[in-house]
Amino acid sequence: MTPATIANLADAPAQDRLAAAICLIADKVPDRTAIVVDAGSDTRRAIDYAALAAAVRKLEAELDTLRPMGVVARARNVDSLIVIAAACGRQHVPVAFLPEDARDLIGELAEWVPLDDSLVVPPGAAEGLPRGEFASVPAQVVVATSGTSGPPKLVEHSWDSLLAAARLAEQWHGLGWLLVYDATRWAGIQVWLQAVLTAGRLVQPASRNPDVVARGVADEQVSILPSTPTLLRRLITSADRGLLARMRIDRITLGGEAVDAHLLEQTKSLFPGVRISHVYATTELGEVFRVTDGEAGFPADWLGRPLPGGVRLSMRRDGELLVQLSRDTAEVATGDLVEKRGSRYEFTGRRSDVIVVGGAKVYPRRVEELLRSVPGVAEARVYGLPSAITGELVAAEIVVADALPEPATPDNVRSAALAVCRERLEPQSVPRVLDIAKRIATTSAGKVPRRSL
Amino acid sequence: MTIADAVTDAIQTVLRDTAREVRAIEPSMLLATDLGLDSLDLAQTVVLLERSLGVDPFRSAPTTGPRPGIRTVSDLISIYTAASRTP
Repeated sequence: MTPATIANLADAPAQDRLAAAICLIADKVPDRTAIVVDAGSDTRRAIDYAALAAAVRKLEAELDTLRPMGVVARARNVDSLIVIAAACGRQHVPVAFLPEDARDLIGELAEWVPLDDSLVVPPGAAEGLPRGEFASVPAQVVVATSGTSGPPKLVEHSWDSLLAAARLAEQWHGLGWLLVYDATRWAGIQVWLQAVLTAGRLVQPASRNPDVVARGVADEQVSILPSTPTLLRRLITSADRGLLARMRIDRITLGGEAVDAHLLEQTKSLFPGVRISHVYATTELGEVFRVTDGEAGFPADWLGRPLPGGVRLSMRRDGELLVQLSRDTAEVATGDLVEKRGSRYEFTGRRSDVIVVGGAKVYPRRVEELLRSVPGVAEARVYGLPSAITGELVAAEIVVADALPEPATPDNVRSAALAVCRERLEPQSVPRVLDIAKRIATTSAGKVPRRSL
Repeated sequence: MTIADAVTDAIQTVLRDTAREVRAIEPSMLLATDLGLDSLDLAQTVVLLERSLGVDPFRSAPTTGPRPGIRTVSDLISIYTAASRTP
């Protein structure tokens, strides 16, 4: 596999690139592992590039015959999703990825053909539909938003915008990539596209259980770990120390939530020399910027001057971050709140996450960061509980670290956490409900939910 | 556990969580004056009682502050007793 052949893919039309890459890699190194599913478990299964290419060609032939108006990818397996994307792209058939919580939106795509893991276009599915004119239909991809800020909605992308962030240079070739994201969402799609376009190995653990993830990373030689801060925190605070020691991570790419300094410090001390970047992206805007210096937030001088790619950042008076992708596009309010701390702007939370207690605003991220800094606290979640008396009340749950120094007990940790909050926070920000949980629930996007469950 | 016990427990938990002196609770005590409970304390008490008794009598009729009718521990016991009777 010469680097030049992969780099040349950038010359192909964007919608052809995924199928072209899979077929090219299958020609050169047919038995190279493309995907490992159920990694870290007994049901581990590996799929090589030859098998992937064969499935893409077979589906392309079917799509070429039936020419559906669009395809809704309803497959559960990530290898099927990749095959569907590649075949639909090169056959200029629009494709939609719908995560479980966005299945209600399928009504908007009623005339599209559903495709499951069998990868067989249902007989008669495309009958009576207007036959798409080959090559004149703008090839497109429909993705659902994560629903962090309201109910999920469908967003349409071109293949160009989907592939805009993919890095094809030689240093990215043949690496092991961890997939802990939902493979049908923007963040997950970005990971599998990147892995497959560069002849890499996509490794999907059997579950999000920290030990399973750590075993998958160690056994399958994953070197790049894209994750949300929440999933990374769970991994490094809860996984077996022996498994963590076997992991050989070069790079961690964080996204989906803001990153705090405490997590960055913990990560650096556990994986010395690891490169950490955090990506600021939304399903609507795609990747906006990337911070690679391993510090929280972003440099204060990024505000008000054009960044690489022509992106401009500004801040509304109330602290909301505004993004203008280019001179020709409108400024977009992101819903994310930032605050200047020294020479950085740091994220304080999402506008919609703000808890209002008796008329006063509480930023849950700040309270979470404080709780996580308390010795013995492994994870924390802060959320608003409805109250007829004060509107909302700050509630929190903490996960107590497995190994507590004697004679500490979980109750001691809870009392210490409350004492720290009383000392450092305004009265309305101190959690009034503080539960000890076995683990913190996460959304399917790998984020911490903000409202009471 | 009687409703009076649940109310006593909840108030004592609030006092303990906020690092105040945990004392014996008498029905005649004034919530604000004798026990020093503010609206946040009361909101916490209501959440604790919803967990132990399964009802929140305040939710059906939202107010923005402590109701004028609820001044003493025994007022609180009465409103929970009434709420627990209605299915």
